[in-house]
Order: sequence, then C-alpha cells, then structure tokens
Amino acid sequence: MKKVLAFLTLMVPLVSVVSAPAQEIPTAGQPPIVQDRSKLPHIVILSMGGTIASRAKDRMNLTHYGDGPAVNPQDWLHDLPELQNVARVTTEDMRDNAKAAKKKGDNFGDIARVAHRLNEIAKDPTIDGVVVTHGTNTMAEVAFYMNLVVDTDKPIVFVGSQRPWSGISGDGPLNLYDAVRVAADPAAKGLGVLHCMNQYINAARDVTKTSAYRVETFKSIDVGALGFADPDKVKFYRAPARKHTTESEFAGTDLKQLPTVEAFYAYTEAPGYVIDAAVQHGAKGLVIDGYGAGAITASETAAVKRAQAKGVIVVITTRTRSGRVQEVPQRLKAHLVNGDNLPPEKARLLLQLALSKTKDWTKVQRYFDTY
Amino acid sequence: MVLLVACAAVSANAQGLPKVRLFATGGTISGYANNRDMQYGYKAGSIPPDKLLADIPEAAKVADLSYEDIAETGSGGINTEILLKLAKQINAWLARPDTAGAVVTHGTATMEETAYFLNLVIHSDKPVVVVGAMRPFTSISRDGPFNLYNAIRVAADPEARKNGVMILLNEEIQAARDVTKTNTERVNTFETRDLGPIGFADEDRIVFYRHLLYRHTYKSEFDVDNLTDLPKVDICYGYQEGDRACIDAEVAAGAKGIVLDDSSPGNRAAIKDARTKGVVFAQSDRKGSGRVLNSTRMEESGVVTADNLNAQKSRMLLRLALTKTTDPKEIQRMFEEY
Repeated sequence: MKKVLAFLTLMVPLVSVVSAPAQEIPTAGQPPIVQDRSKLPHIVILSMGGTIASRAKDRMNLTHYGDGPAVNPQDWLHDLPELQNVARVTTEDMRDNAKAAKKKGDNFGDIARVAHRLNEIAKDPTIDGVVVTHGTNTMAEVAFYMNLVVDTDKPIVFVGSQRPWSGISGDGPLNLYDAVRVAADPAAKGLGVLHCMNQYINAARDVTKTSAYRVETFKSIDVGALGFADPDKVKFYRAPARKHTTESEFAGTDLKQLPTVEAFYAYTEAPGYVIDAAVQHGAKGLVIDGYGAGAITASETAAVKRAQAKGVIVVITTRTRSGRVQEVPQRLKAHLVNGDNLPPEKARLLLQLALSKTKDWTKVQRYFDTY
Repeated sequence: MVLLVACAAVSANAQGLPKVRLFATGGTISGYANNRDMQYGYKAGSIPPDKLLADIPEAAKVADLSYEDIAETGSGGINTEILLKLAKQINAWLARPDTAGAVVTHGTATMEETAYFLNLVIHSDKPVVVVGAMRPFTSISRDGPFNLYNAIRVAADPEARKNGVMILLNEEIQAARDVTKTNTERVNTFETRDLGPIGFADEDRIVFYRHLLYRHTYKSEFDVDNLTDLPKVDICYGYQEGDRACIDAEVAAGAKGIVLDDSSPGNRAAIKDARTKGVVFAQSDRKGSGRVLNSTRMEESGVVTADNLNAQKSRMLLRLALTKTTDPKEIQRMFEEY
C-alpha cells in the first residue's frame, strides 16, 4: 500500500507537466537532396489507389477513412522529398473512376489496363523500375497476375499500407520509400514481381494478407520472404524457383477479358447447387478451396462431375493456407487439377490464363506445377 | 574409420539408382532407451548406421545406399576433429563422378552449425542433407525413419543440386545458413525465421520454391581439406550488467576471434584491448531474427557485423574467415557474401 501511495505521489508532478503549456517538439530535419541526380535510376510510381492513397479527416480514423481528400500521386512526392535521393521518381495515375468501376461490377478492367501499361514500360529504355500502389485486400493476387503476364526483368514492386496516409503512425510513407529503394536496386532485377511492406520483400506468387489490421499482415506462409528493405541497405537472400515474368508462357498477355472462373469454399455440408449455378452462368473453370489435404463434400463432388461433363476444368486448393494439394490417385482419376500451394484467389487467375490457352486438364496441371 | 558398403538387404536391386552415402555422427535419431515411452534419458549414437538403413527398406528403392561411420555422439560431442573429418569424407565422396549426394545423421541441438560449416567447405553442387530426429530410435511415434527416408530422397534428387547443404526434418527442406532449432521438444523444431523453408519433401514429389542468392558450397572460397585444426573462436552473450570478464577470459584462453551475441554492443574497453592483441570481433544479435545493421560506428570500432547469422553460425564463419585473413574489412565482405 505504501508503495502504491508513493507511486501516486510520483504521478502528480508528471500529470502537471503534461497539462502545462506545450513545449515546442523538435522535428527531424530532411536530408540534403542530391544535386546531380542524372545517374539515379528512373522509377515510376504507378498508383492503383488503395489505403496508401486514402485520407481521413481525423488521424485516429484507421478503419473507415475516405472522408478526406484522396492522395494524388504527386502528394507522395511532396510528402517524401527523400525519394529524390534514391531515384528519379515520376508518377502515373492509373486509378479508374471509382463510380464507373462500381457500375461495371468488377475490376478486371483495372488489372488489364495496368498489365498493358507494365508491358509498355518493360520496353521503355528510359524506365528502370516500377512501384505499383494498390489496396492491400486484393494486391497479392493482382501482383501474382502481373508476375505471370509482364514480360520484363525490371523490378516491379507492389506496395500499400494498412493505415491511411493521414493515419497516426501511418505505415504508408516508409513502405513507399522502401518500395522505391527496392525498385531502384539492381539486385531486385529478375526476381519476378515483388511485394514490399513492413520492411519485408516477398515474392508475388507466395505472399498473402494474413491479418486485417496489423502492419505485418503480408507473409509468405509456406516459404518466407526473399529479403529485407533494411535501413542500411536492401538485401536479398532468396530467389523464386517457380517460373515468372520473362520465363512465363503468359508473358505479354494483353487480354481485356479472361474466361470466367469462380471459386468455392469447402465446409461440412457444402452444397453443389452454387457450383451448378456458376456453370449455368457460364463459368469455364472452377476453383474449390477444399478442406485439409484438398477434400470436398459429396454434393460438391457430384456437382463437379456435372460441370466436367460440360467441359469445365476444376482446380482444388486447400483452405488450410499452407501446404500443397498433392497428386493422389483419386484426383488423377477424377481429372481434378491440384492447385499446389496457391490460395484460391491466385489459383483462379492462373486457371483463367490457362483456359485462354487450353481446355486440356493435363496441360492445366502442368501450368500449376510450373508457376 | 570404418568404411563399409551397406548390407546386402539395403543394396539389393539398387543397380542404376543414384548413389547416396550416409555419413553417421550419432544423435537422437540413433538414440537408444530402455523403454519406448522414454523420450529423454536415452543414449545418443547407439544404433549403428546399417541398422538405421535396414529400418527403412523403402529407401533402397530410391537410392543405391552405402554408409560411413564418422562418429557415435550427440550434438554436444561434435568437435573440430569430427567436423573436419566429416567435411573431408563428404568431399571425397562427392568428388567421385558416379555419386549423387550425401546424407548426414546428426544430433539436432548443434546440427545447424555443423550444416552451415559444411555449407561453407563442401566443394560440390551435389545435395548434402543433414537429418536427425527429436525422438530416439526406440520411442513411440519416432520421427527418425520418415526424416531419414525423406533425406535420402532429397539427396538422390538432381533438382536438389546447387541448393547447398540442407536440413530436413518434418518434411521441410531448410537452407543450412538460415535454419535454426526453435523448440526443445517438438518435431517441428527447425524453422527458418523470416525466410522460410526452400522446399518440401511431399509424398508425391519433392518441390523447391526457392533458390539461394548467397555464396555456398561449390561457390565458396573456403577449403579445409588440408587443415588439421581451425582457429579458436568463442561467443560472449550480452545481457544487462554483463562485464568484460567473458571477453578477457576468452582472449586469455587463446581465442583468435569472438562473437558478441548481443543487442547492444558493450564492453568497448575490453574490445579495444583485445583488438590490440589481434582478436577479431563479430557482432550477431541475440534476438534471433533480423540483420545487424552496418553503420559507420561499427566500422570504426573494427567489429564485423554478422548480418542475420546467429551466434553459433557466425562463429563457424569467423573460424573459416580467420584461416584466410585477420583484416576486419575482408571478413566483413565474407559475412556479407556467405
């Protein structure tokens, strides 16, 4: 009790200090900007929007922001003059008119537009690397799509933030700064499309969002990061072994539309009628996120057979989010494609690309073994 | 040294299969206890390599197997003599054009540093897989047989070439440089924090998802084939109020290098004194994840930063570095490249 009283006595002067007139808080200065920038690489920041491009009126608003003015790409350059020491940074605004996108009911238009632009940049000798900002919810699958269709060994780095640009302790500025450093680093060449947030550099194929709000949300669950964007330097330890970008059979793909593929989740008593409905609506491929090692229910199995009779290709993934769906006699016999360790949202995009080339399930399996 | 071709039961019908040799050093995988519910109190290295192989006749279908008995000890018994013998014997085996790979059985407690040592001194791009078990040979639900079987599969797999030395337990293929033991008891004890495994020994096939970007094995500049000893390097663990006694005692005992496993370099005076005697320091970090950042302050103090290597692996690299040079700048280059 005495200790508590002593503690309270100590607290009193502290409280009075806090409520005293605020002293001026020193702010860190900005580093001097390099004068001769002609030798720095040219990096394009391509905005697809996202939380990193959002503001709220209140800096404590971290969840339902958007009531403040959106962040235009040039705002990033204004807020981060340090970028000019890393690269000659230019920006391109690739955000679609949000209302128009909503009206269309999908956003593949955005993906196709950016893929087209990235393939143009691939051929542009004046550009050395690209940073793409994107909302974090679907950025992993969009990055994976680019990993398959962009024909370049130039670094392409996806980046976003968990907190809006206006948020307290926002992660956006450092993420963006690091992403530009990675894109400007010659060691990042030829590693496929990369993702950089929270100082980790991950491969587009393997990275996934694992937490709704934490800044460490992006992880490669099975295989880990490729390297780190540390304060002293960017360092890589690993390169992806699966094929990508320049070695991809889909490199240079410039399709405005892909065959329809829908994804389904397996659970006890999961029905088949939703699968039937997708096929009726014109789905050419299905991804079923199986439980455990890739099992699906009897109802789903029956619906899969009905779908296959109409030429629909079916890929099985696992909702465990770690580990491969392996080749087993039962699935071989049932002509089911093993989705390796891809999550369904990525398996869906690979199946869409695969179906643009073939209707043979064994060839689709080869794509899933290769990418 | 006993050098034998594996027993007939193991090598039958092995014609044409990839030649894989088991180099046995002991460990829990060959541990013997009186009761099958005893998961501690066993004697490591009790089961000879021919028995380990005879225990998994399935392995004879994937490789033409033979073995060499290097040691019969647990992790704690591994010393410089054993390390050098192991490295030389594996180098001799892999130098033969008709061989496919090597498997090393080893106690799990110091397996990671032996594997990293081999990663620096094996001259071949052929797979070397270090394997062990968390439960003794005599235990219920022992993990050894499946681990050894998978290690042999990986060592026999041409796809596993150029991946350096690997550790395989629990179906996960880990890179020797990056993996560490994270749990005292569980079968999933080996993890690679931050970077993850490089592949998996799945039932349908062996899959690799990663290539390594740092120097190892066939690209390494280190060579112990003509060495009979290695420079003495010890470790000092950093903690609040840790004083200079550890550094001073290690210098007095003849250490040529010291790894400071610390979060904040202390004992500047002790470091300075030891530096005047030519002792080389490397700074690792006791947190077990993340790099020690390069800074001008570190550079000026002459202390080499150990990147993201843990203390026990930093020790191995520093020992090998000291076979070449005592120049901190040159050793810093090595810590950045390996």
